[in-house]
Amino acid sequence: MPLSTLMQTLVSGVMLGCLYAFVALGFAMILGISHSLNLAHGEIVTLGGYIGYGLWAGSGLHPLLLIPVAAAALLPLAFLWHWMLDRLPAPRALPSLALTFGWALLLQALMRVLWPGPHRLISSPSLGASTRFGWVTLNHGRAVVALAALGAIGALWLAVTRTRWGRAIRATGLDRDAAALAGINVYAATRITLVLAMALSGAAGVLLATTHYVYPTAGVELTLLAIVLTIWAGVGRLLTVLLAGLLLGIAESLTVAISGPAWREPVIACLLLASLLARPPVD
Amino acid sequence: MSAPLLSVRDLTVGYAGQLVLRGVSLEARAGRFTAVVGPSGAGKSTLLRAIAGALAVAGGEITFDGRRVDGAPAWELAARGIVLVPEGRHLWAPLSVRENLELGAFLPRARAAQDETLRVVYTLFPALEERQDARAGALSGGEQQMLALARGLMARPRMLCLDDPFLGLAPAITHRFGAALRDIARGAASVLAAGQHVGRLLRLADDAYLLDEGRVVLAGPGVALLGNERLRRTLLPLGPAPQP
Repeated sequence: MPLSTLMQTLVSGVMLGCLYAFVALGFAMILGISHSLNLAHGEIVTLGGYIGYGLWAGSGLHPLLLIPVAAAALLPLAFLWHWMLDRLPAPRALPSLALTFGWALLLQALMRVLWPGPHRLISSPSLGASTRFGWVTLNHGRAVVALAALGAIGALWLAVTRTRWGRAIRATGLDRDAAALAGINVYAATRITLVLAMALSGAAGVLLATTHYVYPTAGVELTLLAIVLTIWAGVGRLLTVLLAGLLLGIAESLTVAISGPAWREPVIACLLLASLLARPPVD
Repeated sequence: MSAPLLSVRDLTVGYAGQLVLRGVSLEARAGRFTAVVGPSGAGKSTLLRAIAGALAVAGGEITFDGRRVDGAPAWELAARGIVLVPEGRHLWAPLSVRENLELGAFLPRARAAQDETLRVVYTLFPALEERQDARAGALSGGEQQMLALARGLMARPRMLCLDDPFLGLAPAITHRFGAALRDIARGAASVLAAGQHVGRLLRLADDAYLLDEGRVVLAGPGVALLGNERLRRTLLPLGPAPQP
């Protein structure tokens, strides 16, 4: 592979990786803090993408402006999830797996009914342009998506490590009993976690829809991706999700550059299997 | 005599349909060290966890500072001043010593006094100040026990409940630890401690209770219990009699 192609591939991989990390964030938070597996995660991101697309097609506003609206639209799911997960007996990993798989199927079916026909893409002209820097061509849309993802991950990391409730959330995830005994309202901590996770998933959906086609079953692959990244990062470690995302993004770009797009999905699936064997996800 | 700070009446608690506590009544007074001893399986941890709100209560009453508190969740009880240092320490292992202590002072009242409490705690356990940037999980067993106690103190408790505070401590540290607990009971917080170290707990205790099969079978001043024949009989099958 010529050096210029390699550079371009790596840059694309890094930008893709930022987006992937952002997509996985909501899943990683719910697993890390409420110890539940959300198998409907990909469907929720996809739903965010459809909502973003609908708002964009209806209003003509810049897609980035619609992110807060799509994020807010998913908030009822946070309260629904909290109510459901709270009823599950601990340890929640297995019962949450079955319950949220049911939700994945329901959301897929609903999206097929609500948005039939062709796949959707938010194709804003301002995001379609690109600039050339030496060997590397930078697509504006992808660069903006990567920066927005980085910003969101950074903001979340600061919130969780520096703020009073952020630290309380972390403490709840690490040891719920100890957190409650220290005076932390662990129900409130779980609710904050789910609100953040759903809002981030909605935002990720909109960003995703500017670079990837949205279709009713797109979530399956997104959930897979979230599982891979969370396992690589280690449960409860949010910043490492970014590193895992970059790794997967680069791996995918290299695979596509070397052996063509058809090999993309088998390679991701193999990476998932390898990581499951190396590091079982149940804590 | 003044009204007790904590009063437990006819408390019953069960796990999976089986009663662990079968009508326990006890009192803990302000400014005193109260000990609960008994063979393992007697219900000591269950009693402390129920008092701290970490376990659901099946029947009976818990009154703290004149108010009913049974049924309230652990974080509300912590806000009222009942703080449990649980068995097995339950530290946040990946976080630093300092972060564990700061999170211990999560409650608004505790946070307002955080710097002052931190000074007190570091004076009590200088080893924690030396290792304040270390991961809690990397500390030795003794240091972890100190950190668990220190984190409990950071919440500015009015009643500090300690579950097996001497478990896993080297003999040299145990002595210092006991002295620290006595100081705490005289000043910062009333102490209610349960555990297997019968002799050491009873020598520290102003008031003491012997728990057996979910019931209080003996009550009195700590040293009086130490010489009691009933205590020997209850504990004998499971280990040597405590040194008088």
